[in-house]
Amino acid sequence: MTTYKFLNVIERCIDCGGCFAICKDQNHVPEGTARVRVVTINEGRPGEKNVAISCMHCYEPACVAACPTKAISKREDGIVLTDKSKCIGCGYCSWACPFGAPKYPHDLPPELKEYEGLMDKCTFCVQPFEPGKEREPKPRCALFCATKCRLGGDIAQITPVYTAMKAGSMGRLQERI
Amino acid sequence: MATRTNSIGSCSDFRMSRRTFSKLTALGTAAALSGIGEVGAYPTKFVDNLIEPASAAPAAPGVDLVKSHCSHCALGCGFLGRVEDGVCTGIEPWVENPINRGAMCSKGTSIAEMLNSGTRLKYPLKKEGGKWVKISWTEALDTIANKVKEIKANYGPDSIMWIGSAKVTNEECYLFRKFAAFNGTNNVDHQARICHSTTVAGMANTWSFGAMTNSWNDMRNSGLIFFCGENAAESHPVSMQHILEAKNRGAKFIVADPRFTKSAALADQYVRFRPGTDIPLIWGICHEIIKNDWHNKDFIEKRTYGFEQFKAEVDKYPPEVVEDITWVPADTIRQLAYDWAHPPREGSPACICWAMGATQHTVGTQNIRSFACLSMLMGYVGRPGGGCNAFRGHDNVQGATDMCVLSHWLPSYYGLTEGSWKHWIGVWNEHAPITFEEMKAKFDEHDGKSLMHVKGLTVSRWYEGVLDASVKQPNPVKMVFVWGHSLNSITEMKRMKKALEEVELLVGVDPHATIAASLADRDDGIIILPASTVFEKDGSVTNSARQVQWRNKLVEPLFDSKPDMWIMKELADRLGLGAHFTYDSPDDVLREINRGACVIMMRQSPERLKRQQEYCCAFSCEDCQAKSGPVKGEYWGLPWPCWNDEHPGTPLLYRNDIPVSEGGNEFRTRFRGADSTPGNPVSDDGVSMLGAAYGYSEGYDEMNCDGTPGSGWKFELDCDWKEMIAQNKCPSGAGKSRFRAWNLPDPVPVHREPIESPRPDLVDKYQTYDDMEDHYRVKCLFKTIQQERKNLVNDYPLILTTGRQVEHMGGGAETRSCRYLVELQPEMYAEINPKVAMEIGVKHWDYIWVQTLRGKCKVRAYVTERVNNQTVFMPYHWAGWFEGVPYADRYPPGCAEIALGDSCNIICVDGYDRTTNMQETKACLCKVYPV
Ligand code: SF4
Ligand code: SF4
Ligand code: SF4
Repeated sequence: MTTYKFLNVIERCIDCGGCFAICKDQNHVPEGTARVRVVTINEGRPGEKNVAISCMHCYEPACVAACPTKAISKREDGIVLTDKSKCIGCGYCSWACPFGAPKYPHDLPPELKEYEGLMDKCTFCVQPFEPGKEREPKPRCALFCATKCRLGGDIAQITPVYTAMKAGSMGRLQERI
Repeated sequence: MATRTNSIGSCSDFRMSRRTFSKLTALGTAAALSGIGEVGAYPTKFVDNLIEPASAAPAAPGVDLVKSHCSHCALGCGFLGRVEDGVCTGIEPWVENPINRGAMCSKGTSIAEMLNSGTRLKYPLKKEGGKWVKISWTEALDTIANKVKEIKANYGPDSIMWIGSAKVTNEECYLFRKFAAFNGTNNVDHQARICHSTTVAGMANTWSFGAMTNSWNDMRNSGLIFFCGENAAESHPVSMQHILEAKNRGAKFIVADPRFTKSAALADQYVRFRPGTDIPLIWGICHEIIKNDWHNKDFIEKRTYGFEQFKAEVDKYPPEVVEDITWVPADTIRQLAYDWAHPPREGSPACICWAMGATQHTVGTQNIRSFACLSMLMGYVGRPGGGCNAFRGHDNVQGATDMCVLSHWLPSYYGLTEGSWKHWIGVWNEHAPITFEEMKAKFDEHDGKSLMHVKGLTVSRWYEGVLDASVKQPNPVKMVFVWGHSLNSITEMKRMKKALEEVELLVGVDPHATIAASLADRDDGIIILPASTVFEKDGSVTNSARQVQWRNKLVEPLFDSKPDMWIMKELADRLGLGAHFTYDSPDDVLREINRGACVIMMRQSPERLKRQQEYCCAFSCEDCQAKSGPVKGEYWGLPWPCWNDEHPGTPLLYRNDIPVSEGGNEFRTRFRGADSTPGNPVSDDGVSMLGAAYGYSEGYDEMNCDGTPGSGWKFELDCDWKEMIAQNKCPSGAGKSRFRAWNLPDPVPVHREPIESPRPDLVDKYQTYDDMEDHYRVKCLFKTIQQERKNLVNDYPLILTTGRQVEHMGGGAETRSCRYLVELQPEMYAEINPKVAMEIGVKHWDYIWVQTLRGKCKVRAYVTERVNNQTVFMPYHWAGWFEGVPYADRYPPGCAEIALGDSCNIICVDGYDRTTNMQETKACLCKVYPV
């Protein structure tokens, strides 16, 4: 059975912002909000690391449990989706989510006003910002990732790739220490 | 729309693509994403089965996926433009492109947004009485053409400066150079002057060609990757894919840079060194290698010249001396020397990579020479995983350089001699009649010499051609074309602003208004033409690895914009030159290039390039070679030299352990002292310049088509060289590379302190060059200003260095107009160390002034340990403010970029490379203080 996931090899992320920009482009995510962002630790000194953070499509999503209107649900294939028509913008899911993935866009342009304050987050590219017909899950951020460090796909298939990359990176890391 | 159907991303029509793209649902991504091993994205089994493309079925009804290439760096990443009803609605990954395998950075992924940007120029505009007025193309072109005629009649053809572009296709670059020639001037230049002209001069003077020797994919084979003045994580993000792959396979990755860059963060070792001290750093390493007898004596003896003189110079740089100059501890230098000589991956050589960190110095050419010497010392050049990899900047800057939109060459690196002119006039004559005499009559004379044979003004100092009355041509410049160039990437912006205000007419041709429209304080005399973007026309582009890729038109030109080729043709018609610029398609122009560009053997026909694109999935990501199908054996992009229509291209320059027919190559016998004769090239001191050739046979001189020694290979248009190549002979000869380049100001590089040095005590010992009276037609000061500023460090205690941001590109007109990129990088800043911030009492993101002798910039303070407490860093993509004052109101309405900021090039130093006139942006002195 397919279970979609993201795995990030943080030793390889260069903070190029490719994931951020393609997600905006593909999903028409408006200014001021983002479904994926790169977070940097130890900037400018040894140990600097970047990681692209989005909804991680958790196995047991805390947001789903927290949502009082059952607007968030997990699909069979593991993708966690929000039904914007049920969302009341209470923000509970953000309390629950360990990654700060849920966002509540504001100051939207007139044509998007109806989504003001309603939760938006990564949908594995199934739904753009303005919901429509469901699309195939093709995670553009991973497909376009500059260094192939962001892996997105069936957990069974991306895990070996992740392990191999990680092993190579870690080996070097140890030598550095 | 035949073109569009043809150009549908055929890989999506391949069985291959159906497996990858359309089924590149998350399911398929694991294979496609794998960075591991040879298989990478491509199941070998499939590739072997590939015979021919399947039917051209679109991705979805009404949706075309058109193959194209990113225009934001010299990798030339491929992508598929998603075109619906003639509108580009986004992009999809082109996973079979062997260079990037679908990957792109933030600039690449923003292409659709930039293409459709609302701040693009929409129609021709002229400035009249302080207002921008919309005019028709006819009026604009008539006015410009009349002015060109008037200037030529009143002042002569050299009073027009033609600033060209590295962001247009090879065909347009070629036509631009040809256009300048037909306008009777060598005052034509473009961005290569200010990004890698010193690379070209440095490498070409060492081993004959000035281009990156290997490729990014080839770096997977490296045992050690040494960055010196390169920050690929920001400037060439997708190249990191290959570098990190090499690292995963056991290569060591070392970054030497004044700043702890994003690339340094990924490296195994980071070495901080003082800006402007590359040569002592490299010489320290060479010194240790020679001292320990690790150097490759066999290679040095057989394939190089001048080792003894080189050694004598290097002997002056033991690690302790180097430590004092460079900040790098002596022990680190010893360790670097050991690592360079013993790359950790068994049997894999080391490569050195650089970009503008090394090139933009008064000693830029010599920096690159020192890198090349470091590579030769171990015999790493000409081997997979080795070589010297100059990471070039713009998407087609290699192509624009090859087409020589440069004031000292004709296309394909032909000099300005009579022989070279005759060669090209011969080619042009086949298109429409022109004789050498007719061409000569177009040019003026100065000092009793035809300016046809005199190097023209450069982009880096064109404004001196306006301002300096003693310019070495009949009259100063009175009109300037800024045709696809961001002026804020040129230093001394105050002088340039003045020049822009003094010329009689300023013509800007660009998809965006840029500061060509806004910098000058003037009410009249500016015409701005909206050029189409590169995604609105067909044509070939050459990436840094000499790979030529065909870019398909995604959509028809938006608004009232026009392709550059069209604009040039219209102007030519009005100037009575129309017959020479009549081509049915870019393909025809490329065929003319194929015919004449012999020095680099650019014989990649449009048909072959398009076929490669169609069969992209046959190419391996490991070595860029096609493993099956009709393109079997060919290298991606047919990297030049590509000798004839059967040659697979030359992926690695100077590799002579494989036959020429399979991509082997030799050092040219290019360097000939006065005593040389055909068949016997010798150095200026009489040493034979013939090297060891393929199979380690005796070297041989360059040859004519009939096999006799001579320079015929550069001039004989109808020869296909098949006979020589069948005998494993490289028609350009098998010569030696040079440790000692006798024709350069420093035959062996020596350290010379920057114009503004923080070490007054070293200035006298390591003086810069003597002043030059005529450096590309204008005066250039070296020693005078260095001496004047010897103690400047007392008042300006910090070193200012400049560089890249990943989100922006070049002058930033496109990227600062893109909403996504501006969200990521909204404002101009200067990086300062926390200690400096504390001393001057500012917090992160407060406004500060950065001041030098030239002026000051008002920017945000980015407080970070990336820089040490002696260095300040500024990105160079910003414009729209001048010394703290915004000038957004001077742009045509609605055409200012979304994000504006002060330009660091207002304050960078007025030093220039002694050989190429490259500006020195990486080392000068400044002070910072709160606003
Ligand atoms: S999978 Fe799609 S929606 Fe989710 S972060 Fe990536 S690009 Fe955005
Ligand atoms: S695209 Fe990849 S490398 Fe670039 S920032 Fe995102 S995760 Fe990192
Ligand atoms: S800017 Fe360079 S690395 Fe980024 S997508 Fe474009 S070609 Fe690739």
